[in-house]
Amino acid sequence: MKVLNDFSNVFKRYDLDLEKTGEAKTVSKDAVLQKIAKFVVEGDEDGILPAVQAALKDKSPLVVINEALIAGMNEVSRLWDDGVYFLPQVILSSDAMNVGIAECEKNMGKSMDRKGKVVTHTAEGDIHDIGQVIVNALLNANGFEVIDLGADVPTDKVVAACKEHRPVMVTGTALMTTTMTAFPKIAHQLKKAGLEIPFICGGGAVCEEYVTEYDLGIWGKEASQSPGMAEDALAGESWESMRSKWNG
Amino acid sequence: MNAKERVMAVINHQKPDRMPCFGANSTVTYEQMDKVGAYWPDGHDKGEVMAKQALAAYKVLGFDAVRVPFCQTFEAVALGCKRKPGKIRDIEGIPGIDHPPPYKIDDTPVFPNDFLSRGFIPELIKAVEILKKEVGDEVAIVAGIIGPFTIAGSLLDSVPLLKATFKAPEKMRPFLEVGEKAGTALAKALIDAGADIISIEDMTASPELIAPKTYRDYELEYQRKQCDAISVPKILHICGNVDAIIAWMGQTGAEILSLEPKASAKLAREKCGADAILMGGVDTATTLFMKDAETVKQGCEESVADGIQILAPGCAVAPGTPTENLLAMVEIAKAH
Repeated sequence: MKVLNDFSNVFKRYDLDLEKTGEAKTVSKDAVLQKIAKFVVEGDEDGILPAVQAALKDKSPLVVINEALIAGMNEVSRLWDDGVYFLPQVILSSDAMNVGIAECEKNMGKSMDRKGKVVTHTAEGDIHDIGQVIVNALLNANGFEVIDLGADVPTDKVVAACKEHRPVMVTGTALMTTTMTAFPKIAHQLKKAGLEIPFICGGGAVCEEYVTEYDLGIWGKEASQSPGMAEDALAGESWESMRSKWNG
Repeated sequence: MNAKERVMAVINHQKPDRMPCFGANSTVTYEQMDKVGAYWPDGHDKGEVMAKQALAAYKVLGFDAVRVPFCQTFEAVALGCKRKPGKIRDIEGIPGIDHPPPYKIDDTPVFPNDFLSRGFIPELIKAVEILKKEVGDEVAIVAGIIGPFTIAGSLLDSVPLLKATFKAPEKMRPFLEVGEKAGTALAKALIDAGADIISIEDMTASPELIAPKTYRDYELEYQRKQCDAISVPKILHICGNVDAIIAWMGQTGAEILSLEPKASAKLAREKCGADAILMGGVDTATTLFMKDAETVKQGCEESVADGIQILAPGCAVAPGTPTENLLAMVEIAKAH
């Protein structure tokens, strides 16, 4: 007869082994900043505002942004990369961070200095902008200014936004094969306008073979690559060198 | 065995003369439209054209089932969402749901009494009736409905729904309830019209969008209720890598689980047992649409080796997919 002598799993639900567990790390030794970071990690956009307002009484807005809001969001990125966090949590955290940043900017009387601009859009005809929502959140968290054109964006509008904002990088998301055909058209128009901006294309239907067929195109496999790619673009890397680094 | 007998043999756990091949999702392409002389946008909203296009799966490709519809808007439009036409520049595509959505999370959604006569639903029912007249018991008729969570996503827009999964999950219930009612009512009408199999597409319930525990604690209950109420065999299709929820998908009551190649068929077998019927094949975008027939065949062979029993495109077929790639799938099915 088999004798059970390990009772540690008696109350464990058989199905819970499919979910990973993980805990947010402490990001600041300062209790006030840590509290704000915790609101970001927990995605609490209601709780964060009074906490940020209280912190701004004796801390500079830049310290609150960098050491609490962005530090908290970096922790969210890590939990997402580790498979602990899912998309809804990333969206909620990004919203909470943005509430905090808006309050700090109000306090500074100007927008925080950003590293550079990135234009993001979801292809014309495509209303599935979830991928773009993650890209926006991660770029935001990494200090880039996101020019969010939203979903179902005509090619002309993407090109016009690039002319106006002169971003370091532009991204396109498409879930459907019928809509990703807009990407080579955008790339062509950008080139014609003399804008050699790295154009990251990704999303459900989009694959490497397709994107690397046209100039400027770099295939984005995962949304989590976007901050790293934006850093490369900011450092002045050409689309050719970015493509050889991130693709193939 | 004819095509329908072949499909039903697999569902009844009998040995078919060979492996069946058909889609859990839309398989219409531009090339098939040319062959049968029926086109979009009419195929999305006129029963006769829809039926004609669906028949191409059997007549042009040699698939073992025909399937309607070709987009995911029928229930949502009947519940008050606006349909966004599929045309982009000069090319006809797949309609979607337009912004803004009809509800906010604090609202109470309404299930209209005349649901089945609203929007484009009467045309979908008509298409199934025509298909039944055309194919009788020669070919299986698959009719598609949308799962509760995905309908809730159309009623609220996906980002507010995703936020609610963590912020106010109980507030999702009325929307899941209406979503379940809508899909089930449509399924019953489609069965009365002649559908042999109901395919439940629930894209938004994927772990790529929601946490597995949201599926387990909320959506599972409504999918179960829906499967219980549908009298014919059911296919459950959830997009993306569903490894984290496959064990629960196996508890819904759906006889067939349709998997994308990103999901593990081996894990599905392990978690769902010997009775679960697994359907799948190759990736629709990166393989079927982009690659050649040889690559398609190779991918299909791998899926069969992993335990797939019904060969199928992994998700909805891209309308620009070459016919020869779809024929390559049938060739592999014939060899097994």
